[in-house]
Amino acid sequence: MNTLLTIAKREFRAYFDSPLAYVVICLSFFGLGLMFFMYQGGYWQIDRATLQPLFEYVPAGLAVLVVPVVTMRLMAEERRSGTLEMLITLPVKDSDVIMGKYLGALGLVLTVVLASLAYPILMFKFPWSLGPMDMGPVISGYVGLVLYSAAAVAVGLLVSSLADSQAVSFFITFFVLGAFWISGSMADQLEGTWANVLHYVSFQSRMTGFMRGLIDTRDVVFFLSITVLALVVSFRSLERRKWA
Amino acid sequence: MTADVMIQASDLTKRFGSVRALDKISFEVEKGEVVGFLGPNGAGKSTTMRILTCFLAPTSGTAKVRGIDVFDDPLEVRRNLGYLPQRAPLYTDMVVRDYLKFVADVRGLDAAAFRKSLESIIEVCGLAQVLDKDISALSHGFRQRVGLGQALLHNPQILVLDEPTADLDPNEKAEVIRYIKEIGKDRTVLLSTHNLSEVEEACARAIIVSKGKVVADGPLEEIRAKTGSVRYVVTVDERQGQPGKSAPKVSELRAALERIQGAVRSRELPTDEKVHKIELSGAKDSDLRAEIFQLMVAQGWLLLELRRDAQSLDAVFRDLTRGDEALDRGLVYGDDTAEEDDDQRDDEDEESDEDEDEDEGSDESAEKKDA
Repeated sequence: MNTLLTIAKREFRAYFDSPLAYVVICLSFFGLGLMFFMYQGGYWQIDRATLQPLFEYVPAGLAVLVVPVVTMRLMAEERRSGTLEMLITLPVKDSDVIMGKYLGALGLVLTVVLASLAYPILMFKFPWSLGPMDMGPVISGYVGLVLYSAAAVAVGLLVSSLADSQAVSFFITFFVLGAFWISGSMADQLEGTWANVLHYVSFQSRMTGFMRGLIDTRDVVFFLSITVLALVVSFRSLERRKWA
Repeated sequence: MTADVMIQASDLTKRFGSVRALDKISFEVEKGEVVGFLGPNGAGKSTTMRILTCFLAPTSGTAKVRGIDVFDDPLEVRRNLGYLPQRAPLYTDMVVRDYLKFVADVRGLDAAAFRKSLESIIEVCGLAQVLDKDISALSHGFRQRVGLGQALLHNPQILVLDEPTADLDPNEKAEVIRYIKEIGKDRTVLLSTHNLSEVEEACARAIIVSKGKVVADGPLEEIRAKTGSVRYVVTVDERQGQPGKSAPKVSELRAALERIQGAVRSRELPTDEKVHKIELSGAKDSDLRAEIFQLMVAQGWLLLELRRDAQSLDAVFRDLTRGDEALDRGLVYGDDTAEEDDDQRDDEDEESDEDEDEDEGSDESAEKKDA
C-alpha cells in the first residue's frame, strides 16, 4: 500500500514539475467559464439558479481534452524512455504500478473537477448570492462527475498502456471517450437494438440522472465496472511484458 | 548449491516470438565476486539481466538470487538487488535528490536510513554538485552516476549493472569504473559491457555470451589462454616500394601475408595515412615477425611498422563471438568487420576510428530488438 501511494504521489507531482498541470488547469477553467457564461447566452439564458450547464460542459471537456492529455504519458512515455524498467525492477508489484499511476492521474483530473466547485460556492454562497440554490443536484452532480472521471481516467490509462507513443495514446483516448460521450445522442437517431446498446453505454445518458439529482445504482455500477475492467486489462497488459 | 552463491542461472532460455534470445544459459556468481558479463550487442546480456531482476520471465530454466527463485518471490529478489538498466533511464523531470528520495520511499527506507545512505552515495558516486539539479540537465555521465546511486541506496549485497559505461567519454568511463571497483570491494557485482578494457580493470572473472549461449566463463587469465591467436599489425607504404620496386595492392599484400606459414587470416584496418595497415592473426605462441620482414624485403615493399600483440582479451572476445552479429542482424559483413565495438577505442589507439557507421547501426538494431 505504501509503495502504491509513493508512486501515486510521484506521478501527481510529475504533472506539476512540468507545465502540463498548469496548462491543463488554467485552460480548462478559461474554457469552462467561457462556455458557462457566454456560449449561446449560457447560464443567464436559462434564468434559473441551476448548475446543469456545468455538468454538461465539464464531462464533455474532460472527455475530449483533459483526460487524454493527462493520461497519455502514463505508460506510453515510461515504456518509450525505459523508465518503466527502472520502476518495475524496484520492489513493487505490477498492480501497485498501475494503481499508483491511476491514482496520480485521477488526482489531477479530480483537482480540475473539484476546483469547479468554486462556481456554486462563489455564486450562491459567498461572496455573491444569486438566489436560493437547490444543493441536491449539485451534490449528486459532483458524485457523478467523480465517478465519470474515475472511469475516463481508467480508460485513458488502459489506452496508454497499450499504445506505443503519447500521440497515439492521446488520439485513441480522445476518440474512445468522445464516442462513448456522443453515443447517447447518436442513439436518438436510431431505433431497435443498436439504439438501446448505444444508449446503454453512453456516458452522457449515464450522467443525466446525476445532473437531475438522481443517484441511480445502475449508473454507479456502470461507471465502477468500466473503471475496474479498464484497470484489470491495464494490469494484464503490463504483466504481458514478461512473457512476450 | 552453497550458501555463498549469490546469483544462479541454470538453463535459462528466452524466446521472443521465433527469436531465441537466450539458449540455455547457465552460470553462478559467488559472494564478493565482480564478474564481467561480456558479449556483442544482441547476444542476450540485457535479457539475462532483465530475467534476474524479474522484469522478464524466462521461457524455461530457473534463475535464483540468494537462493530465491525469480518466479517464487520477485519482490524479495528485487529487494536484494540493485539494478542499473541500460542507458540509466531516469525521470528527467525530477531533481536528483527527489528522485533518490522516491526510490528510497519505494524501497521502504525511513528518513534516517535515507539520509545516511544518501551521504555515502554522494561520496561514492560523486553526486554532491548535482544533487539539486534537474536530471534533464545532467550529462550522460552524471545520469549514469545517479543511476548507480539509486542502485546503491538500500545497500544491496548484489548489484546488476547493465552497460554502466556505454555512451560515456573516456574520462567518465574511467570514473564510473573506479566507482564500480570501489563498490565491488564488499559486494557482488554482475557487470555487463562490451568494453573489454573495463573488464580487465574491474573484474577478476568474465562470462562471455554469444548468440544466447555462454561461450566462456572463468578467470580472465583462463579465458585469455583459451583461444590462441597472436595478432600482428603490419603497416606498408601504399605509394612506393623500395627503389625500383612498386607498392603492393591491398589484395596482393594480404594474399602474401596469408601465405606465410602459421598465418591464419588477415584483415585491413582503416587508416588516415597513405599506407596499407593489415592485421594478421597467427597461430598461438607463434612469432612471424621475422617471416614478415623477410617477405617485405623479398618483395621490395616498404615496411613502415610491424607490431606483435600479446594475446589480448579483445582478440579472445572477437574469436569467441565471431559471426554473431552478422547472423543476428540478418546482415552479412565480411568476416573481418563484424565484431568491432565502439568502446574499445580508447585503449586500442591504432583502431581508434573504426567503422563508425556500422557501430551506430548495430546499436540501433540492438535497441529495436530490446524494445
